[in-house]
Amino acid sequence: MAAVVSLQNVVKSYTRGRQRVEVLHSLNLEVQSGEFLGLMGPSGSGKTTLLNLIGGLDKPDEGQITVAGERLDKLSGSQMAAWRARHVGFVFQFYNLLPVLSAERNVEVPLLLTKLTRAQRKTNVAAALALVGLSDRASHKPTELSGGQQQRVAIARALIADPTLLVCDEPTGDLDRESAEEILQLLTILNQKQGKTIIMVTHDPRAAAYATRLLHMDKGTLARDESRTAA
Amino acid sequence: MKYLPLVWAALRRKPARTLLTCFSIVTAFFLFGTLQGINVGIANITKITSVSHLVVMSRVQMGAAMPLAHAAEIQAVPGVTAVASVNVLIGTYQRPNNPILVIGTEIDAMAKINADILVAPQQLAAMARNRSGVIVGVTIAKEYGWKIGDRIPVHSLNTTKTDGSADWVFDIVGTYTLQQPDWATRIFANYDYINEAITTGKNQSMEFYVGINDPAKSAAIAQAIDDRFANSPDQTTTANEKDFLESTLRQIGDINFLVNGVVAAVLFTLLFLTSNTIAQSVRERTSELAVLKTLGFTDAGVQWLVLVEALVLSFISAALGVALASGVLPWVTSGPLLAAQGIGAMHVPAMVYVAGSAVAVLLALVSGVPPAVRARRLNIVAALSGR
Repeated sequence: MAAVVSLQNVVKSYTRGRQRVEVLHSLNLEVQSGEFLGLMGPSGSGKTTLLNLIGGLDKPDEGQITVAGERLDKLSGSQMAAWRARHVGFVFQFYNLLPVLSAERNVEVPLLLTKLTRAQRKTNVAAALALVGLSDRASHKPTELSGGQQQRVAIARALIADPTLLVCDEPTGDLDRESAEEILQLLTILNQKQGKTIIMVTHDPRAAAYATRLLHMDKGTLARDESRTAA
Repeated sequence: MKYLPLVWAALRRKPARTLLTCFSIVTAFFLFGTLQGINVGIANITKITSVSHLVVMSRVQMGAAMPLAHAAEIQAVPGVTAVASVNVLIGTYQRPNNPILVIGTEIDAMAKINADILVAPQQLAAMARNRSGVIVGVTIAKEYGWKIGDRIPVHSLNTTKTDGSADWVFDIVGTYTLQQPDWATRIFANYDYINEAITTGKNQSMEFYVGINDPAKSAAIAQAIDDRFANSPDQTTTANEKDFLESTLRQIGDINFLVNGVVAAVLFTLLFLTSNTIAQSVRERTSELAVLKTLGFTDAGVQWLVLVEALVLSFISAALGVALASGVLPWVTSGPLLAAQGIGAMHVPAMVYVAGSAVAVLLALVSGVPPAVRARRLNIVAALSGR
């Protein structure tokens, strides 16, 4: 398998007040295509920072990041935005759907950046909603959906542009157990049946059990790397 | 166009706030359109009023009656070609809310003095034959469906007849039009017919219309007329119609300045209101804008979305406001009350559509650029983590 994500000597720090805090210390990491990678670790260990760097939301202070064949640390802001639209699907803990748009409109948003016609966009949206089992809720607004359903809409939105990588930040953190299981099973299907590479930050060991590889982070470094069989 | 749903969604996010802002902009542009329409309308009135004849009025008080004997004295002033006396009957037609203005005058002389009044000679002759005959303006005739031969009742509000009645009956014997037909809203009756029947103001004239042989000498002739009555208890003030109207309007103040001042104040206030609304709306959507950037929208793309949102809000509301003014202004100014004053329907000038569009764009830019720039600079990571 080829490495879809490669980080070499990545350093990232933030300024808090007058203090400069280094969050990631010379980090090296490779993620192979088709992996379901779980990122665990205590708060402040740098999980989300790492996820933001891999997802092209932020840039490293030092080091190289190559994702889907592109050196992210070399891209400009607009190039990075175009790259994100092509290669990354994001799933957030609090879904981050646009509240005044219906489920189908929310899922359609990433396709507005493509050259697809309206009819093509509609077809793709219907397929994505069918994939997450929400065809019958297409016209519902986020407030009319349960947490689990909203997260499934968010997953449909993340998948709609057929990204190389699915980046999930605590996707089950706001869900009850049953809904969380459904979401994790959906992610597993996407990983196993569609070969999607998934990187998921989680605090929940039960969620982490779905990952095929688990990285433990601590104080900005990779503390432990364990490959495993998914639940 | 494909991004329009996102713009609409942003505007629909807080419908009440959007509607109230929209309503404010509509009101401002309604005022803008209406006041500019009135401004241009007044300018047009002075533009089309004649300098070829004079109007003699009482120096004591505008509209105060002067002795009919003044007519002969005025006629004797060198340069004067004709004099027409005027008594005015203010009344209503059929219903109290149908006001009407009947001008008793020597219509032959009046038509000679004021070349703008276009009436057929045979109809002037019919007036001379029929004491109760009237020549009506084509606009008012059209409004009430009058035609030659009709007999119209008028209930007077300012005169009583010698028989104690305030009701008059006139026979339509002709119609007249003006160069500006919309303004042909008056009724010309025989001076003598009204003069003989009224109880007060008999043998008096509220103003005299004076024909002159040389408009270039109008100021000198006007002075000569006023000099003639300088020692009279009924002193006069004479001017050509245009000067007279302009001086009357000057008494009200610099209308142009007032109108522009009001509009500027309204738009300036509106600027703050709209700026605040857009800024607040963008602040509330910080995380949503960050999500759009996360999904691949560029900084410039998000900036444009916010700007287009401001443009849509401003432009649609402005268009509604001006459209409303376009509908309301002619409707209000074509009413019989103003028509009775000889003021025809006013229209929102074409300039307002152009200027209104420019002001709407300016409003959108001034109110939309700061939040749009903020949206452009939005840091995704900071915005998503609530920092």
